[in-house]
Amino acid sequence: MGAFWLDFGIAAAILFVAYNIFKIFFLKYFKNQAKVKSRVINLIVFLLIIYTFVIVYQTAQAKFDDRALAYMILQFINQIPNIASLALATTAIVLIYKTSTTTNFAQSMMATFGAYSAAKAVQYIGANYEWSTTTTVIVALFAGSFVAFLLGVFIDTVIIRYSKDKTPIGKQMITMGLVIILMGLMPMIFGFNSTNNPLVIPQLFPASEKIPLTFLNTWGIIEMQLSMTKHSLYILIFSVFLLVLLFSLLRFTKWGLGVRATASNERVASMMGVNTKLITALSWGIAGFLGGVAAIIKAPTDINPALMVSTQVNGFVAAVLGSFTSFSGPLIASILIPLLQGLMVSLVGNWNFTVVYAIILAFVLIKPEGLFGKKVDKKV
Amino acid sequence: MTYETKMKNTYKNKFKSMVKHPYFGFFIITIIMLLVQVLRIAGVDVANQTLRAFGKTMIYIIVGLGFSILLGFGGLASLGTAGFVGLGAYLLGYFTNNKGYSVFLIIIIAILVAIVVGTIVGFISLRIEGMYLAIITLAIAEIINEIFTNWTAFSNGIDGMIVNNRIVLFNQYIVLDPNVVFVAISLALLLMMIITFNIMKSPTGRALLAMRNSTSAAQAMGISIFKYRLLAFIVSTVYAMLAGVLYLTYIPSTFPVPGDWTLNLSLLILAAVIVGGSRSIYGIIMGTFLIFGFDLAVLSNRNNFGGYFIEHPEISIMLNGVLIILVIMFYRGGLIRLVNTVIGFIKRLFQKVKHKWKEYRYGPDSE
Repeated sequence: MGAFWLDFGIAAAILFVAYNIFKIFFLKYFKNQAKVKSRVINLIVFLLIIYTFVIVYQTAQAKFDDRALAYMILQFINQIPNIASLALATTAIVLIYKTSTTTNFAQSMMATFGAYSAAKAVQYIGANYEWSTTTTVIVALFAGSFVAFLLGVFIDTVIIRYSKDKTPIGKQMITMGLVIILMGLMPMIFGFNSTNNPLVIPQLFPASEKIPLTFLNTWGIIEMQLSMTKHSLYILIFSVFLLVLLFSLLRFTKWGLGVRATASNERVASMMGVNTKLITALSWGIAGFLGGVAAIIKAPTDINPALMVSTQVNGFVAAVLGSFTSFSGPLIASILIPLLQGLMVSLVGNWNFTVVYAIILAFVLIKPEGLFGKKVDKKV
Repeated sequence: MTYETKMKNTYKNKFKSMVKHPYFGFFIITIIMLLVQVLRIAGVDVANQTLRAFGKTMIYIIVGLGFSILLGFGGLASLGTAGFVGLGAYLLGYFTNNKGYSVFLIIIIAILVAIVVGTIVGFISLRIEGMYLAIITLAIAEIINEIFTNWTAFSNGIDGMIVNNRIVLFNQYIVLDPNVVFVAISLALLLMMIITFNIMKSPTGRALLAMRNSTSAAQAMGISIFKYRLLAFIVSTVYAMLAGVLYLTYIPSTFPVPGDWTLNLSLLILAAVIVGGSRSIYGIIMGTFLIFGFDLAVLSNRNNFGGYFIEHPEISIMLNGVLIILVIMFYRGGLIRLVNTVIGFIKRLFQKVKHKWKEYRYGPDSE
């Protein structure tokens, strides 16, 4: 571990010096200096990330000899449920930021509400029908996410719509109040997890069902036989499908155009005939839906109010790292963060979360607008 | 002695000037708090739980006072408060158990650590502003919690740290009596209220207020954002850590575990400050009593309401959230504004009645 920090520090220092040399001697030859500067910083960050991966690879090589690559791929496969749920949660957070200009702290609680409903649905189906686990979970998934959708719409129409004229920090605090309300409400409605009232969502497929990844062997990438559970494969496909659907909706439909118009200026958008109320309500609903899916695909889990809190923190950090102003930046960050957290285990053990947060914090201090953000000039 | 000085020194005038002194209210609050303890010692049947609830609430008031300087004056929303309180508690536990330092030394260490941590967070707040600050402070609290969990040499990991109200004083271990600590907490609260009042009314407080309303305007008036942001964070962190130290000495047979210092506590402190009124000391006291004290003393008492609220603790949590939203949406200023409105109404009513009575007694005004 000590050697890692030494190497990492030296590499970071060299890159810092190189960046400064570039800034002093070569930056003046470029036309769009701000853009070039931002891109160079991104390049440095990616070099550092690649360097981290290389170091992880080397440590793995020292430990597992020729199976190092297999180890890294295995880490990636293990992180798939985390990555999928984080990507969905982060997208939901960014969607709400775009339409309501607030960072939604209640996102995790909305998501957990969906998970509770899904667990109740599983309970109900288990008692009344003789369905297979897969069917049950799929039905429960849609039921729970739909409840979260309704909750999102409800929150917007009852509270958020009437707090338009509040300051951003005031709005933020309203969402924090929502966190407390939902935290109290959920055990009241759904009860606590016990043997009489099991609030558990099973995996989509039993953990023993695995799909061998033969293409890795036939392409000659690794020697070892690797496999992933059917559950992770299906949730990967489902969440990619959801994200592609959402992004194409944002890009090609009238609703997406409305969201982008509302994001740039709500008042002008409403003057131009965009139904901002409907768009905001729908955005909250969709955010709830995505959150619900994100919470449910973390299965198998016991449901408790703190289920999504760590995902929420990760999602916020990803959104800050990737910049709230873009949709794709947070997505990339939300893939990167669990991956780094998983890989760091071999380097720093239990400290993986701390190290990743600290690295991100340092990066955000250097570049507050995030990886892909544009610098927004402050109005005076 | 001239006539004027003689008139000034009458008991009535002396009393009047004493009542009008800004510290008077703080002393009254401290005396009321101490009275609860004195009654208990004198043999009046004050429930143990009520007493502990008062003590805990006072500790949370100290945290809230620091937070109000940050939020009400600086306009900086932070969610790292719980982490800092926990850090204070852990410092006391670690240095008492493992090093055997005197409690005064530990308090000094806690203040120094608080200054360092506050400076770091303050620096971050210079780069990352507005809404993002809450997120970043949340991440910092998460880092602090991870440290509590993982640095077993310091915190004893998830098993928690067994302190049992022991402190080191004059080179020997003393097991503190909570009743004695209660008095210490009351005095600490008095000191903190006086300090907070002075910060609020001093040029520092005014500068922070200017910064809160508009950073650019404040800078144009020559206020150094750098200095005052750092100061606000340092003050609030010092308060939080001292509260953490007091917390560990007061609550009997508790030991800090990493799960105690999460977002939950930060949100409740935020609720207390906002519901009470984020820029008034009395407001914060009222808010904290409403959010923490009412719950601890009344709702979670087994004798009240047939134990209904013990079986359903989530109801009181929910009410706190509803209060936050109602206050922010409809009644900026919180409880203290309500109280001021009511007092103003009563004063006006009183004057009216007095006027009416004079009219009746001496006849209407001749004009």
